[in-house]
Amino acid sequence: MVEVFAVASGKGGTGKTTSTVALGMALADRYDVTVVDADTGMANLLFHAGLSDAETTLHDVLADDAPVEAATYDRFGLTVVPCGTSLDGFRDANPDRLRDVVATLAEETDIILLDSPPALDSRTAVLPIVLADRIVVVLQPTIPAISDGLKVQEYATTYDTDVAGLLFNKVRASESIERVSEKTERYFDGPTLASVPESERAREARRAGRPLLAHAPECEAATAYRAAAEALTVQNGAADDAADRFRSAVIPESL
Amino acid sequence: MKVPRGRLDKSRVVTDPRDTLADVLDRELTGYAVFESQETLLLDGEGRGLITFTDGVPVLVYHTGTDRGGPPALADLAIPGPYHVSIYALDAANLESAHEAADLRVPPGMPAERLGGDPALADSTRRAASDERLRTTDSDESSAEGGATEQSAVEAFLDDAEKIEAIKQQARSEAHERAQQWEF
Ligand SMILES: Nc1ncnc2c1ncn2[C@@H]1O[C@H](COP(=O)(O)OP(=O)(O)OP(=O)(O)O)[C@@H](O)[C@H]1O
Ligand SMILES: [Mg+2]
Repeated sequence: MVEVFAVASGKGGTGKTTSTVALGMALADRYDVTVVDADTGMANLLFHAGLSDAETTLHDVLADDAPVEAATYDRFGLTVVPCGTSLDGFRDANPDRLRDVVATLAEETDIILLDSPPALDSRTAVLPIVLADRIVVVLQPTIPAISDGLKVQEYATTYDTDVAGLLFNKVRASESIERVSEKTERYFDGPTLASVPESERAREARRAGRPLLAHAPECEAATAYRAAAEALTVQNGAADDAADRFRSAVIPESL
Repeated sequence: MKVPRGRLDKSRVVTDPRDTLADVLDRELTGYAVFESQETLLLDGEGRGLITFTDGVPVLVYHTGTDRGGPPALADLAIPGPYHVSIYALDAANLESAHEAADLRVPPGMPAERLGGDPALADSTRRAASDERLRTTDSDESSAEGGATEQSAVEAFLDDAEKIEAIKQQARSEAHERAQQWEF
């Protein structure tokens, strides 16, 4: 039983990594959740999850130097697969192995969240979106973030990946987000899951190397992430074919 | 709009114009940047956008494709990247006469908001702007009302269904092309 989500945005710095960990923790109340740092060129999920000293990471797995199990860590009620930050690690990694990693993890968990890279300019950057069943699009209420989000959606749907919903992040108090989110929804295939306020707690949490939901579980931003998790209807596929599904995930024939 | 030719400082492809604006602010560059979208199929994708800077702070914006200046030129420029960006340095004196074109002016933080999509960078740009710049730009840039102005710019963008359809179509055809190139 598994559904794979890519947490994606196109634009950098919108809060994909923060959201991956926060959504993961919120979903972990109901599901067995695995989060994977699929931003293998600029990994930083490890810094959000207190794993900066993790010895074995996704880089080692992608370089075929370690089995997936050696790079999984139980933290904050999640299974976390961090990625290393060195250039050498990136160079030696074979991004295509991500398929097998996802297929292997899929046998053991209910939900996989893939923290995705910004930009869509390389095969590696787009692969998480190809592998996922659906994407969660992280947006800020700005013109560039919304137009890059549209671009991500069109890539995803072209590659047969659906849209689970939108997450507005870093929303300022001066913005009445309702109108913007309502207008944005006209162009996206999924609903707004939540609007997460710009929050000093989020920045503090990042500095402390802890997930927002562990650092300040009662703050407004954390509450919004729990609402987003609540709004997400998980559609786990059948258990037995999960592995095959990801090993054979390809662009639909119709292309 | 006439700007004397500057000394080429940098020329490269950037995925996010935010990075250019942050770099120019960081280096307190005086001169101008030319943005050319790679999305040639897009409406208004033709032509180039030009932003001038004094000490890293944006002053004028002009779009050659639409021949519009000021905030409307930023709207013309705000389409998904990548962009080819060339940055030119100039002495402040060489920009003086160009900078008299009041109709091409933008509030200091506006390019960071609308092109960079980074309200925090817009805040630091406003902090770096001279008091005189802040006094002479529309008062609506000071934060509370500035938020409302930015929100209406976002809403105006979302009301432009034709432009959004063009962005989507461009992305779809790009995704098709890349699928073959990347051998998915
Ligand atoms: N709601 C929020 N309020 C304030 N700051 C936030 C919020 N969400 C994230 N941030 C901060 O914004 C920065 C970028 O967040 P994050 O790393 O999650 O973004 P990202 O989209 O994963 O970035 P990248 O594109 O580089 O991978 C971090 O410093 C983070 O602490
Ligand atoms: Mg990230």
